[in-house]
Amino acid sequence: MVLSKNSGGHRGMQESMYSVIALVFILVACVELCDAAAAIDVYRLIQYDMSGSAYGSRFAVLNHHAASLHFPPGADLSRAVLIIPLRELNITFVREYINQKKPLGGLLFLLPDIFSFENGGNKQVHEKEKLKNLLAELEQLLIHANIPYPVYFAFENDEIDTVLVDIKKNDAIGQPATATTGGYKLVIPTPEPKKVASPTITNIQGWLSGLKVDGDTNQLPTIAIVASYDTFGAAPALSVGSDSNGSGVVALLEIARLFSLLYSNPKTRGRYNLLFGLTSGGPYNYNGTQKWLRSFDQRLRESIDYAICLNSIGSWDNELWIHVSKPPENAYIKQIFEGFSNVAEELHIKVGLKHKKINISNPRVTWEHEQFSRLRVTAATLSEISTAPELLQGTGGLFDSRQFVNETAITRGVKLVAESLARHIYGHQGKNVQIFADGGSLAVNPAYIQSWLDLLSQTPRVAPFLSKNDPFVMALKKELADHTDEVNMQHEVLEGVFTFYDSTSARLNIYQVASVTFDLLLLLVLGSYLIVLFSFLVITTRGLDDLISLFRRPPSRKVKTA
Amino acid sequence: MTMFHFFNCAILTFGPHAIYYSATPLSEYDTLGTSVKAALVYLGTALVKLVCLATFLKVSENDGFDPYQELLKAVIGFIDVAGLYFALTQLTHRNISQNHKFQAVGLGWAFADSVLHRLAPLWVGARGLEFTWDFILQGLEANANLVLSISLAALGSLMWLRKNKPKTLIPIIYACAGIVATMPSITSYLRRGLGWHFPKVVGFELFTSLSMAFISWQLFSACQRPSS
Repeated sequence: MVLSKNSGGHRGMQESMYSVIALVFILVACVELCDAAAAIDVYRLIQYDMSGSAYGSRFAVLNHHAASLHFPPGADLSRAVLIIPLRELNITFVREYINQKKPLGGLLFLLPDIFSFENGGNKQVHEKEKLKNLLAELEQLLIHANIPYPVYFAFENDEIDTVLVDIKKNDAIGQPATATTGGYKLVIPTPEPKKVASPTITNIQGWLSGLKVDGDTNQLPTIAIVASYDTFGAAPALSVGSDSNGSGVVALLEIARLFSLLYSNPKTRGRYNLLFGLTSGGPYNYNGTQKWLRSFDQRLRESIDYAICLNSIGSWDNELWIHVSKPPENAYIKQIFEGFSNVAEELHIKVGLKHKKINISNPRVTWEHEQFSRLRVTAATLSEISTAPELLQGTGGLFDSRQFVNETAITRGVKLVAESLARHIYGHQGKNVQIFADGGSLAVNPAYIQSWLDLLSQTPRVAPFLSKNDPFVMALKKELADHTDEVNMQHEVLEGVFTFYDSTSARLNIYQVASVTFDLLLLLVLGSYLIVLFSFLVITTRGLDDLISLFRRPPSRKVKTA
Repeated sequence: MTMFHFFNCAILTFGPHAIYYSATPLSEYDTLGTSVKAALVYLGTALVKLVCLATFLKVSENDGFDPYQELLKAVIGFIDVAGLYFALTQLTHRNISQNHKFQAVGLGWAFADSVLHRLAPLWVGARGLEFTWDFILQGLEANANLVLSISLAALGSLMWLRKNKPKTLIPIIYACAGIVATMPSITSYLRRGLGWHFPKVVGFELFTSLSMAFISWQLFSACQRPSS
């Protein structure tokens, strides 16, 4: 019995030992987590191959010292990361560095808060515009260059601002980045980027059937409304494309909602089918639209009266453009343009017509309607942009954020398109009839537009990084299904001209490090302290003779043996 | 180079204990067993203290100074003194003089304290890339703690092992022992109540440990004179 009592006591001791050990482990884990001076989210420059040529930043792993723009001239930056805030960016400097292929450890661009979704900007308008243009220029430079070191984007915040001030101070003094204090090391531990295997593009279409009168066997004519929803920008994790083409997507959804209200009642259902298309692959010469059209059967394609493509209608004041590829003298084009002009006059909008011939042998497709025109379907693109954009330009980059989009512009655009379409469908051309009047049950809903615009401005939508069952794509499908009779999704593989690489965002750790000389100095100091301590203790406890005898041992032994 | 920093801080934290053992006559008289036994007693004391703290102390949300909690912690700190009493008086030591006994016990006590409190943070923290002065300050604190432990052991041996002490010195001995025993509470009050920064606290600890060591050395030699 005594034994069991003892063993019980032992068990109690063991349990408390285990709890102590567990506590130690938890403490160890906690200490492990908060290691760095600062840790921020960073977004990598896109890496892609186009027709075999490599573009973008080819590396992702970063483990170098930080340097600022105030580095001493002639310093070796091949193992340093330049931290450049956008406000201090000198674009010629960066262009020179990239074009002359000067060695650099890495680049980190700091973007002001106004380009992120969470923080609004209460800055003056002209500063916003200047930054926007600068960022657009930087983006174009970076995505068309082959950069053999990592390039990352991050948003400014307090932590990194203090770090940058410190770095600048040290660079100004001329203290190298490896000094005892103020030396910062940037570490991004991310795996090497791999190719994205068979990137998919998903087209979503919604079909609203028109009213078929009994005895009428002919196929009803169809009007198509199309917008591409994917983006391409310098940082794929930040390419939200609020204006290009978030505004188009939102407008399409609102138009679908309005017409679904009209078409829900057989008395107000028009004699036209409505086909809504949300296409992907926009930045890549509207590859998705082409595949979508090719998937139609002949009858459907021939029944399309005309198609309206929406592209960037979010930040205009008073002027919109209709781009066509058929000559303006064409009767159909005249009809469409007149219909739009009449409505535009009433809404105090100026609408211009721009004609650009298509060249079938040239693979470059500037506007979405050109894909329709190549298959001989009448089409036009409504946009605020007047000049044709280049390849991979104006496709929703870093600068295209929520701050620069105006909901009222989209609302007016929706009204323009919806009224023009309705007047054409119901045969009220030229008449001053307001079908979607403000304040009525068919009014354009600004809250709907705003909530979808906010969602789109928070969702990066670069097509290769959107999987087949991506939640956003599913959300678009569900929304379109709410407003239409039938929804179909088409999954295709992006054509082989483009290859993309993953690893688009990571976590940057900033460490404050001490140099090797500091460690050696400390070792020296500690060594001398210990020697002094040893001598002091020997002298005080055993006497000075003992200390001296420690160094005189070998001779005394010799004397003894002799 | 961060293993280097860990090595530096380790020799600052644990080096003096080894130096003390080898430099003083402790190594000649082979008092390692005593030190080891003292270390084990410290381990036991630490466990008892942990259990008492867990049972009686409340977890405070803010990092301020709560006098009642600190008083409780000081009372539990006296378990330390009880442990030291146990190590000095109850354990069977080899035949070594009192002079060396308290030194060996104090050394073993301080070494166990350093290992338990400072080894784990050092291993985890000093090896990382981030550089802080904390670990060097911790090493200096370990040095101060060594001196304090040895002075406490000296005063303890004076109180419990030496029978014939000069009457006038007895209250001074007990007062000094009390100060040294409550040193942890004093430092935590300085850190939390007055808001002193770590370097200042470490400097204060070094200063007080040296002065306490000097005072206890004087007391010890004063008590030694009548018997010799």
